[in-house]
Amino acid sequence: MASTAEYKKPKKVNYKKQKQLNRSKAGNGLLFFLMFICGIFMALPLVMIVNNALKPLDEIFQYPPKVFVKNPTSENFTDLFVLMNDSWVPFSRYILNTIIITASGTVGHVIVASFAAYPLAKHNFPGKKIIFGLVVLSMMFSYTVTQIPNYMIITWLGLNNTYLALILPAWQYGMGLYLMKQFMEQIPDSLLESSRLDGASEFKTFWTMVMPNVKPAWLTLAIFQFQQMWGQTGNQFLRSEELKPLQYSLQQITQGGTARAGAAAAVSFIIAAIPIIFFLICQSNVIETMTTSGMKD
Amino acid sequence: MNKKKKMTLATKRAIVGLLFLSPWIIGFLAFYVRSLIMSIQFSLNTVNIDTANGGYTLTFNGIKNFIYAFAEHGSFSQTLVLSLQDILIDVPLIVFFSLFMAMLMNKKFRGRTLVRAIFFLPVIMNSEAIISAIDVIRDLMMGGLSATSGAMSDAASSGVNMDYYIALFGELALPDSLLNYIVGAVGRINDIISASGVQIVIFIAALQSIPSSLYEVAKIEGATGYETFWKVTFPMVMPHIITNIVYTVVDSFVNSDIVTMAYETAFLQQNWGLSAAMSLITTVIVCLILGVVCGFIQKRTFYYN
Repeated sequence: MASTAEYKKPKKVNYKKQKQLNRSKAGNGLLFFLMFICGIFMALPLVMIVNNALKPLDEIFQYPPKVFVKNPTSENFTDLFVLMNDSWVPFSRYILNTIIITASGTVGHVIVASFAAYPLAKHNFPGKKIIFGLVVLSMMFSYTVTQIPNYMIITWLGLNNTYLALILPAWQYGMGLYLMKQFMEQIPDSLLESSRLDGASEFKTFWTMVMPNVKPAWLTLAIFQFQQMWGQTGNQFLRSEELKPLQYSLQQITQGGTARAGAAAAVSFIIAAIPIIFFLICQSNVIETMTTSGMKD
Repeated sequence: MNKKKKMTLATKRAIVGLLFLSPWIIGFLAFYVRSLIMSIQFSLNTVNIDTANGGYTLTFNGIKNFIYAFAEHGSFSQTLVLSLQDILIDVPLIVFFSLFMAMLMNKKFRGRTLVRAIFFLPVIMNSEAIISAIDVIRDLMMGGLSATSGAMSDAASSGVNMDYYIALFGELALPDSLLNYIVGAVGRINDIISASGVQIVIFIAALQSIPSSLYEVAKIEGATGYETFWKVTFPMVMPHIITNIVYTVVDSFVNSDIVTMAYETAFLQQNWGLSAAMSLITTVIVCLILGVVCGFIQKRTFYYN
């Protein structure tokens, strides 16, 4: 008995040591310090936005500017709501427009891109390389330059001044397809083969085997696409006031200049807050997948 | 008989694959291929806006636009070279920085999601309304002392005396080109950090799709952290390094001076043909570079299968 007790002791110590074998405390501290510095760079605009949204007007105009608010108020938000109540179209309409555009643009793109990425990653058919080459090429063509052809195509298709003018092109962004393809390529073929052998249809294989395994990828894609769609002002395509998204109305408010500085600060807070919340939700789900999807080959 | 059956299975699979692709292809043909073709068409013609009837007229002039861009346009070639140079400098820095950050943020610690969100902020801030709101506020803050604000912001931006450090490192007899690269990198640190938000998220997703059994094996075999990185992590994220290179190139290309120039040529000088030619030239060059780089990496890429 005594010998086992003796035997146990060094093992415990060893185990503890091993846990820290790869990184010293100093190393951890250094890494933390590095991340902290980089983090400050990144967080500064957000800190400024949050603080500005809470600053009373006289503090916004203060020079030299102070980062942190002294007497926080909510009057910027009340100002904003007063402004919104005066707007031509009821404000809830802008919100509804944004929800429609953002939700269908994001969901549609994730589905269409995943559908398209699956055969490009895991099937063989003629013309595969050409299609993939075109995808990359389309990403290179910057939006600013193809504005005119884009506008004409939308008009020819009769989509001008509808939600679809923003939603449909968003489904075919090249980047999403590219991202999904790269991730699907890493799924072992044997996994798909076994599912096919068990008699699953191609769609079922896709839906129950491929998609859960690339959950981090499509959640990431959803984050980008949400961000893209959320930022759409629809200036080129939407003429009717009652179709315009929230970004547009908020942009109008911020362009009001000095008189609306408080409201502008509140606006920037709202615009920044919602994608951040969406990001947080998606990212915490990404972490969950890591524990649930144990891919064994 | 057997052979025939095999053929049908292969064709069947190809058809199913095409079915999966079809929603994407239809939209792609409608929205993107057509605008590509129209841009090529524009670049080979002189485009005149027909104010009387609406629409536009095209006059074919061959490759004159391309020749003009290179031979006669004042700053096109120069801007092109500078933009490409910028892209080539930034891409490796951004990719490695974001890989590094992603690995740090993939570790378990309290408030991890929040830290990730902070690093994703620049992407979120990159929205028109936020930019204009920040501009308004900054203008207001500067407006109070408009006479001196210019001088003050100059002083603020050069808080670090770069020349001093360049001279200091110059004494160490480092090669000049390396030194310039490092100094350039330090000068761009803010740009690099703020341009790597998306790349970090892609790498995080990549790191999370690495089977944990591989790490377990590495640990059992007694690999150190360094070895685990080079033998497990790095090969497994290799395909996504390509993804990130592509994304970074596209992203920095879309925001580069040359695209701004093409945009201004089109919308300020209303020379649509020349603008289309310019963007075609840059697109082809960037695609070539990307092809070479990716081909080079792809050969060394390890795929899980």
